[in-house]
Amino acid sequence: MALLEVKDLKVYYPIKGGLLGRTVGYVKAVDGVSFTIEPGQTLGLVGESGSGKSTTGKAILGLAKITSGCILFEGKDITEVVRKYRSPYKKSVQMIFQDVYSSLNPRKRVLDIIAEPIRNFEKLSKAEERKRVDELLSIVGLSSENAKKYPFEFSGGQRQRIGVARAIALKPKLIVADEPVSALDLSVQAQVLNYLKDIQKELKLAYLFVSHDLGVVRHMCENLAIMHNSRFVEFGTRKDIYENPTHIYTKRLITAIPDINPLKRNDNNERRKLVSAEYEEKRNMFYRDGSQVYDLKQIKDTHYVALP
Amino acid sequence: METNAWKVMWREIRHDKLALLGLILFVVTVVTVYTWALTIDQSAAAIVNVRNMNQPPSRTHPLGTDPGGRDVLEQLVLSARNSFNITFIMTIAGAIIGILVGLLSGFFGGHLDNVLMRILDFYAMFPALMLIIVFISMIPSYSVVTFAVLMIVLWSWQGTARLIRIKTLQQGALDYVSASKTMGTHPLVISFREVLPNLVSIITSNFTLNLAMNMGVETGLTFLGFGLPFATPSLGRLIAYAQMPANMTNRPWLWLPAALLIFLMMLCVNFVGQALNRAADAKKRMV
Amino acid sequence: MWKTILRRVLILIPQLFVLSVLIFFLAQFMPGDALRGMIGPDTTPEQYAILRQIHRLDDPWYVQYGTWMEGILARGDFGRSVTHKRPVTDIIGERMMNTVRLSLLTTLFTYIIAIPLGIFAAKKKDRFIDKSIMFYTFLALSMPTVVFSIINLFIFGFRLRWFPVRGSVDAMAAAGTLEHAVSRLHHLVLPAVTFALLSTISIIYFLRNEIIDYDASDFVTTARSKGVPENKVYTGHILRNALLPVAGNAGLIIAGLFTGSIFIESVFAYPGMGQLFVTSIVGRDFPVVNTLIMFYAILTVVSYLVTDILITIIDPRIHIK
Repeated sequence: MALLEVKDLKVYYPIKGGLLGRTVGYVKAVDGVSFTIEPGQTLGLVGESGSGKSTTGKAILGLAKITSGCILFEGKDITEVVRKYRSPYKKSVQMIFQDVYSSLNPRKRVLDIIAEPIRNFEKLSKAEERKRVDELLSIVGLSSENAKKYPFEFSGGQRQRIGVARAIALKPKLIVADEPVSALDLSVQAQVLNYLKDIQKELKLAYLFVSHDLGVVRHMCENLAIMHNSRFVEFGTRKDIYENPTHIYTKRLITAIPDINPLKRNDNNERRKLVSAEYEEKRNMFYRDGSQVYDLKQIKDTHYVALP
Repeated sequence: METNAWKVMWREIRHDKLALLGLILFVVTVVTVYTWALTIDQSAAAIVNVRNMNQPPSRTHPLGTDPGGRDVLEQLVLSARNSFNITFIMTIAGAIIGILVGLLSGFFGGHLDNVLMRILDFYAMFPALMLIIVFISMIPSYSVVTFAVLMIVLWSWQGTARLIRIKTLQQGALDYVSASKTMGTHPLVISFREVLPNLVSIITSNFTLNLAMNMGVETGLTFLGFGLPFATPSLGRLIAYAQMPANMTNRPWLWLPAALLIFLMMLCVNFVGQALNRAADAKKRMV
Repeated sequence: MWKTILRRVLILIPQLFVLSVLIFFLAQFMPGDALRGMIGPDTTPEQYAILRQIHRLDDPWYVQYGTWMEGILARGDFGRSVTHKRPVTDIIGERMMNTVRLSLLTTLFTYIIAIPLGIFAAKKKDRFIDKSIMFYTFLALSMPTVVFSIINLFIFGFRLRWFPVRGSVDAMAAAGTLEHAVSRLHHLVLPAVTFALLSTISIIYFLRNEIIDYDASDFVTTARSKGVPENKVYTGHILRNALLPVAGNAGLIIAGLFTGSIFIESVFAYPGMGQLFVTSIVGRDFPVVNTLIMFYAILTVVSYLVTDILITIIDPRIHIK
């Protein structure tokens, strides 16, 4: 049974306008997205900013209001439950945030930050709670004396570890990681990513890994969904996407990955020009009216592409 | 960087000579006025003594006597206490209402927020003091309590509510609030335990500046006759003696001390408020 | 932008309606009526009852409101003042010109005082002159309008006798003569300066901050590094950008003056709308009070609107909503 199943998810925001401030239209942030995540598996959600990838993640956590569609968690329909402030579902699904500076309340000590979910769901004595926080800190590689400190005393990478410790405090089954490393220095990124992988093995976690960085996603994910204009343009395994990109948008994204070998620079530039030309040429083939994404079509057992 | 908002505020005040002086002078004056007022027999102080009327300052009456023959110094102390009382009540109640309304409206949005914004827009439409004057003149048996209630309801909370609402909206967009939501924390707990502590310095500086403003407003309204009731001694009432040209030119002891006292108190509070204002904005801090 | 303006004006109409109904509704709870001031000791209860009937004071409030509204909508007639026994529009018309004169002169003085102070404070940032100017703004912020008015009236009116102590014009001067105009100005100067000294604060702060910000901005640094003389940097680059928004704020200042005019006009016994408001409230003269509140509300909204429009014209980065 799939851990998480999302069916035809839509998130629309009304546009107010006119003399009386009525709703005159909608911004379709997410427009009909479906996918499943198996236990312990990582699904990468890739797209440019504004493609709706973060909103998809937020909708799963109840941070964005779902317009239509449904979400099944371990087979149960929890679409109505996600917006409730407390439910068993909330305990099983957690989030890691992009902005490590604003995701920790500056007025709270690390102890209180990490203990917040524990206090909401479990009744522990002060000593037990402290022990749990120390354990969590050690899992993310921080010593227990850090518990009395405030967030501003830590570096970006350390803050993200505190965020991770908080997210795994309730032993969740799924973590939505919204660009978890894009605010960090490159040198720290790999470190945090490796932590995330280690923790995944240890706790048998599933990730929904939202990112714009195909390099990072390749490192982390078995399955990938490419998002463009609020819809999926391609969905498949890592192999499907990287070795056989079929949608022109995916092709463009993949050729845009920087290569560290300087000898290939000219080759790469040539390739990019070719793909770019192909994109302009075939735009109308892959998009209805030049921008609307078609429904996904299965082209191989694991590989889906949005085609007419 | 320091996280304890109170420590930051205190440090900012300590390093600003005028603010420190203002704070000390304000506390000393308030304590003096309240303790002194306790020693004054109010009914005796209110007795009219026509033979003693409008005496200039002398040894027995350091600030002279008023048209009712009462000692102006005693009247000044009682007036100051009454004016301080009403200002404190008004400002504290206004802060509480403003914070509650602004926080809940900014955090929860929806219908509550819509209604609040309509009310605040309505207020922005005309000088609110005019409406207060209309209301005050309409109340048949008018007392200190009705004045306090009117000022609280019609005047004291709107600015704070607007400010706190905006600041709550800003905080609500930050990820630590989203994090609390995903962790199953109750929305009321999020607004009061997570968001509110981040607004402490803004609230304090706003409170202080409001305190000064409310002192001025109370004085002005009482001066015009739409403030504290006639029987209640108050600074505005003493200043209103100046409305008669004879008092203004020949008996400055009636109104000048009250005028200077209110000015001095507002000045002290504003100096403190300015230092707190800097403390609330990391970019403006001096230390 | 026209849509926005239209919407703001349309929102005003129901608000004014609610406000006027509210005032009429509350008026019935008010102790005493406008006739109290007119009846003498020998007015019999019967005469009093007839007077009340003539002025239709016995009708229920909503009937009175209906009559009043009908007059406004049908004939532009805002009713008759009970105490003055004249049409409300006439009385307000006379008083309005006095308040307009006072407001205009106050705004003028405000700018004359505030602009140089704001510029000096910014140029000499953190130096003695800046600190003195900031100290002045504290004094102004801490000075209740009535207190400052009384002290100025005491010193410059009663003690030094430089200015008249009440009224808007010398009764002896014949209308239309130069003497009449001079007398008007003479009566205006003291309240206007008093008022202006208190209303400079926001402009000084605003201008000082703007200039300091521009002083550190990239385009000014570029100009300096190209060798543009310092005084030209100020006039050509900094002041041009900093002063325009200040001009746009005139509407806000005028809106702020309305509240203040209640206090200023009362202390200086200046026959403007603020003073009329106070005396009408005391005299329970509801047609006047009502019309004045409506009028102030419209003026305030128009002032804000004009400010917003001016600012959008001056600064293309800002759009009004």
